[in-house]
Amino acid sequence: MPRNEQIYPIFLIRLQLETINKMQSPSSYQSIFEGAYGLLTGFATTIRHLFRKPITEPYPEFKRRLPERTRATIILTRDPDGEERCVACYLCSGVCPVNCISMQSAERSDGRRHAAWFRVNFARCIFCGFCEEACPTLAIQLTPHFETCQPDILRLLYEKEDLLVNHGGKNNAYNFYRHAGVAMGIDKGDHLGEDRPVDVRSLMP
Amino acid sequence: MPKLMIDDRKIEVAPGVKVIAAAEQAGIVIPRFCYHPALGSVGACRLCAVKFLDGPVRGLQMSCMVEARDGMVISSTDDEAVDFRRFVIELLMRNHPHDCPVCDEGGYCLLQDETIAGGHAMRRSMGKKRTHRDQYIGELVQHEMNRCIQCYRCQRFYQDYCGYRDFGVMGSASRVYFGRYADGALENPFSGNLIDICPTGVLTDKPARFKGRRWDFQRAPSICIHCSLGCSITVNARYRELVRVEARRNDDINGHFICDRGRYGFAFANHPDRPRQARINGRDTSYEEAIQTTTQRLSEIARTLGPDSIACLSSSRAGVETQMSLKFLTRSQGWRQPGCFVDRSEQNSVTAAVGRLTPERVVSLGEIEKADLILVIGVDPILEAPMLALAMRQAQRAGAGIIILNPQPVSVPFAYDHRPISPDDLCSTLQKWTRSISSQTRTESHFVEKHEEYRGPETPSVPCPLPPVDSLLQNSRRPMIVCGTNIVGTAIIHAAADLARDIHSDCRFPGLFYVLPGPNAFGAAFASAGGKSFSDILPDIETGNIKALILVEADPIFQFPDQERVKNAVKQLDLLVVLDYVPSRSVGFAGQSLAEMVSPAPLHVVIPTLTHFETQASFINQEGRLQQTTPVHVNGLPMSQLTGGKHPPRKFRSDVPGAGARAAWQVLSELEAVLSSTPADSITFADIWYRIGLAWNISVENRTEIPGNLRILSTTVESEPMTEHYRDD
Repeated sequence: MPRNEQIYPIFLIRLQLETINKMQSPSSYQSIFEGAYGLLTGFATTIRHLFRKPITEPYPEFKRRLPERTRATIILTRDPDGEERCVACYLCSGVCPVNCISMQSAERSDGRRHAAWFRVNFARCIFCGFCEEACPTLAIQLTPHFETCQPDILRLLYEKEDLLVNHGGKNNAYNFYRHAGVAMGIDKGDHLGEDRPVDVRSLMP
Repeated sequence: MPKLMIDDRKIEVAPGVKVIAAAEQAGIVIPRFCYHPALGSVGACRLCAVKFLDGPVRGLQMSCMVEARDGMVISSTDDEAVDFRRFVIELLMRNHPHDCPVCDEGGYCLLQDETIAGGHAMRRSMGKKRTHRDQYIGELVQHEMNRCIQCYRCQRFYQDYCGYRDFGVMGSASRVYFGRYADGALENPFSGNLIDICPTGVLTDKPARFKGRRWDFQRAPSICIHCSLGCSITVNARYRELVRVEARRNDDINGHFICDRGRYGFAFANHPDRPRQARINGRDTSYEEAIQTTTQRLSEIARTLGPDSIACLSSSRAGVETQMSLKFLTRSQGWRQPGCFVDRSEQNSVTAAVGRLTPERVVSLGEIEKADLILVIGVDPILEAPMLALAMRQAQRAGAGIIILNPQPVSVPFAYDHRPISPDDLCSTLQKWTRSISSQTRTESHFVEKHEEYRGPETPSVPCPLPPVDSLLQNSRRPMIVCGTNIVGTAIIHAAADLARDIHSDCRFPGLFYVLPGPNAFGAAFASAGGKSFSDILPDIETGNIKALILVEADPIFQFPDQERVKNAVKQLDLLVVLDYVPSRSVGFAGQSLAEMVSPAPLHVVIPTLTHFETQASFINQEGRLQQTTPVHVNGLPMSQLTGGKHPPRKFRSDVPGAGARAAWQVLSELEAVLSSTPADSITFADIWYRIGLAWNISVENRTEIPGNLRILSTTVESEPMTEHYRDD
């Protein structure tokens, strides 16, 4: 219990005084001595710490490099082809415990499903990381960047333009549309683990 | 009555019920893909396996293929059955693509649910997935064949239940393919139901493609207003925009399905030109100013020219509250009684039909399926009441004969006996049959008999030559007389009712089923009792006897056939007040005001109203069933129109943009209050129903929630005598 040394002896003294009173054998010299001893040990610890090298670091002058998996600001990443990974499947907004993600899915002119708009309300976000876990396309990811304070709450509303980055985040290789069976840039049968489309009119067994 | 035990629950079911349905009655839902209560069982998916522990059948069996029998002891949670179901799921998932995130079914997908419930989480198969090419099957249904699990529900619905042949199953072995022979739009007017019955994402809603997930939608039970049947629907909305309509099960009316018109016909609620702000002569104004201007001008006209110079017109698409509020308004002010129809003959036909429905004879759509003979008089079912055609097909599949008396050619998906009797002979023919059957004598039919069969060999052929109709009617136990009100006159409507009444006997229970021209034509018949149709008040407008016209969710300026005459008549008016929720001709399109169409134009006041998706509204369907809608979302400009598809605005506001509309009955009640100088604040939905209850002498226990099985018939409701103004021929 070294951290509580400064406070702890005071409680001890009180306790001891009470005990002594109860014992009906008051020895005031003894209690004074014990009390003084307790106080001095406490102050000694304080004085010792005054001359130690501090363990805290002066933020913002010094910024520590946080672990890669620290959960803070959310980004929307891109797949290896440079396309938005987000398919607006609503899984992140569905799992979000504080309802801070909202979006509107839409069909792009080439038929690809994408988010017409995508909004994260960082005033609400609790950085739990459930959205990242739920994301089937690795689009939404949490980054260690945590300095998002704003004087105006509306500036904590991040739109898709604010969230979208030009890299793949933690995984630069994954491309959802190489696995999905829908023909989007990749023909039917050309996805990973797929056979060529069958000939329905064939009678062969 | 077999008694059996399922999962330690004792249950007694009707003979012939499958075990899966018996379990459902006991509250146990056995997993299934191919079984559907309306489509029956085929045993294609093998998912509903249960263990039969004791009784006439033993071992692992498909619960949809085994009929419930006495003494059966069944376990749906037996280890063997649970394991079997897990392997079935794993097998079905072997070829299923990895595309749930971009699949619209995700969120209410039966395959998703059963996969999670069955415990299959990791793919073990190392083989390659079978793929299919998709088809273009029209603008209503999206096809994504890779997701198929071969349950055959679509094919059974499309071909067996509906009777259309252009979509079906092809291929063999693991190449089984559900689609059309070649790309092209589906011909079935009930094709939207494929979306509801497909247990996975092969067939999804195309207009609602990528619009959102089911869990994000605001959903509410509602009523379809596209024909007089009043089918039950569930409405899905998001961000103040209607996204999807689904069928809602109602065994009395539509069963499990709805037609495509009902499913896809909701765009009017999202229309960009929809009136959302009160307008005076094309200029946007506040609701209060519009009410003030209207009441001022109305009192002036009533004072100078008499209350008889003010006419009101509602329509058969307005709710009961709206129609009756208009009636209360005219009654309190002494104006002309409101009309609800554009055409006189339409009003006469509907009034005649409503007057002839009696509790003994009236039948619901669900009972049509149980008929053994259906006589269809002057109705084109697919055109006027599509679900009626589907119900008649089910009756025919169960062995009923169908006779269509119609001078027009009709196209329906079942074999029928078409007797193209001319309208002149129709009434006398019906009367002849009535006499012939009621006097229990057989007579020979003298008219031409023609036998037409719908394409496709799947429908049982009708024996030829055909027996005369009266003898068929005589030999049937449950004949249904289905009569239209569109092309037939009142005489035939009466003749049909007479036929239904007079052929009733101890062993014959005829039903009478009228098809009316609108979702609330039945209520309109009550509300317009004593009032005149638009075609009858038009001469008074032309001569200047009517100076103010109030149109409540009606558009006679567009619907009246003689457009020039209407335009000239409108010039004679001093005041035209239009309450509506669609950008109709009477409202004036966004780009074209009334002044551009008619000059000199009268003072034109437009007050926007709410659709039945945004407010409670009641409709009486063609059998007199009073049904109520539930508001699904608040009225306002859809988010997509507010921001043009971009992100929502980045500023706070407390009001809903574009929410200037009120329910038509609220506007009318306020007009009445202002004109009678009484306080208008406290008029609620319950108040309106209190007044309607007093007017009709019915007791509605809870006036804000009306039970869906309340029938309002002219014989049970006290109303003004409904008379036909002029006998038409």
